[in-house]
Amino acid sequence: MKIAVCGKGGSGKSTISGALARHLARQGHKVVALDCDPNPNLGISLGVARESVESMSPILNALLDSGHTHKDPKIEAEVLLDRYGVDAPEGIRLVATGKIERPSDACLCCGSHNTTRQFFGELGADDRIVLADLEAGLNDLIWAKPGADDVVLAVTEGSAKSVEIARRACRLAEELGVRRIIGIANRTVSDVDAKRVGEELGVEMFVVPEDRAVEDADHLGVAAMDADPTSPAMVAIGELAQRITR
Amino acid sequence: MGDGYDLTHRDEWAIQCMERQLVVMDDLAARAGDARAWLALERQANSYLRHLGTWLAKDRIFPGARSEMADHKAALEAYVGRAQQEVAGVDPEVLEATRAGLGLRLAVIGKGGAGKTVTSSTLARILARKGRKVFAADLDVNPGLAISLGLPASAGGMPPGTIEEHPGSIYGWQLTGDMTPIQVVEKFAATAPDGVRFLGFGKIGPASEGAGADKSAAKQSVAALVHLLLGIGEPDWDVIADLEAGPTTPFERYHAFSEDVIVVVGPAWRSAMTARRLLPMAEGRRLTFVSNRFRDEPDHPGMPARVRIPFDPELAEVERQGLAPLDACPDSPAIIAITRLAEMFVNQEVPV
Repeated sequence: MKIAVCGKGGSGKSTISGALARHLARQGHKVVALDCDPNPNLGISLGVARESVESMSPILNALLDSGHTHKDPKIEAEVLLDRYGVDAPEGIRLVATGKIERPSDACLCCGSHNTTRQFFGELGADDRIVLADLEAGLNDLIWAKPGADDVVLAVTEGSAKSVEIARRACRLAEELGVRRIIGIANRTVSDVDAKRVGEELGVEMFVVPEDRAVEDADHLGVAAMDADPTSPAMVAIGELAQRITR
Repeated sequence: MGDGYDLTHRDEWAIQCMERQLVVMDDLAARAGDARAWLALERQANSYLRHLGTWLAKDRIFPGARSEMADHKAALEAYVGRAQQEVAGVDPEVLEATRAGLGLRLAVIGKGGAGKTVTSSTLARILARKGRKVFAADLDVNPGLAISLGLPASAGGMPPGTIEEHPGSIYGWQLTGDMTPIQVVEKFAATAPDGVRFLGFGKIGPASEGAGADKSAAKQSVAALVHLLLGIGEPDWDVIADLEAGPTTPFERYHAFSEDVIVVVGPAWRSAMTARRLLPMAEGRRLTFVSNRFRDEPDHPGMPARVRIPFDPELAEVERQGLAPLDACPDSPAIIAITRLAEMFVNQEVPV
């Protein structure tokens, strides 16, 4: 199974992705986590040490440094996963598909978006779960091109801008032919709030409550799953993992 | 003729960009009547020179336009020289004060959800309320700045007549050649509350909504908008651009026009990590750190906050409703903090 997680910046994509991956792994699945944000930080939510996340060897840079250009033959995603992936807790393999850390006139066509597409499209998912935490906004959803059998999670918090981006993501996923689209009403403060978001998105919904424990973990730069796996949001995401794989 | 190469479309586009820059410079020179105007012209030439430097630094990008670039550099340097001559008799202290009082050139960057858009929009409107001419640009393909300014979400895409196709331009479109950037703003930019003028990209949306499920459709005007921002030399205009979350747009130098970069950081550790990754891309511009959703945390290391925007449930509610914060909660602590930020820029309290 492949899962693509999308939404506005700050909506909670990485927090949801990280906790979801951990729960899926605990439930016995083999998980590959793709951090598709050119500003990779999924490692934090997975429970990788802060220093490792900050210094993670990103594929785009590694390829550029080795002189690889878009004219060279592509390296298979499995090989890249072996070479540049890092181990996260509970057997999860994490790979950053793109990262930009210096100004350059290099084109991004051989950069983060393309590696995102390559990984999401090529990695086999018959006996494992490939979970992609996409870059903020909608670009990556177009690039990753999830198919009919993939699952798209459109994450939003309560702000109108965030809901609007999630709504567009749902419509885009529908147009791509994705059959299972789940709206995640994140940091929800009330039932009214959740209902309103659900009506806007018009897809299967799942609610993750506002949770100060997640915020505190975020401030410290540690995984909410390590700080307090029994907090309301973490418990909810455990239920989400079961619902997705059922 | 580019050094014996056949000119590529990309070369031709670069040459056209340079020619149009000289039109902007000529226009500024024709209207320059006082020291302030000449200082603005000098600043504009330097801004173009800085941008040209990034082109020159990469040999492989415009292989056929090398000699044109060298000529262009000389022409811009001549403008700098001429401006300096024109103000040679003015007291250096007066000059410095005048220079510092030129219209602002602000780019706002940060992690997604950090508060870039609320900061940019509120800052733009407060500056306009002080009687300044303000142009605000949304450099994010996702909807945002229009809403926070108090315009419909769909407002402000580059109107027909302002952009034209060119095969060498990024995503295939450029600004039309018959108007200078400031003329485009004056004639075509949407007018937001308080008189802020606004332009942005088309927005990414499903095909059924007209924009097409295609990022190039939304982004086709990117080169036009970036060059429009880069070409506003007017001393009286403040220019503010709200960049897309994360490092992609700074990487592509959408902030090329800016003199000040506002870095918005939230309390989360990863928000600071994002900012640390963005800083190298600010390339010598003045930095202003704004700490958003502040409760009682210490500043992130190396990022002394010049303004702390307090955590504000009222603002969160306004964001839920999709309203412009300045209209919906004008007296909230967050708005008061952003007002203070505007005053710092107006009063030239230069960042440390």
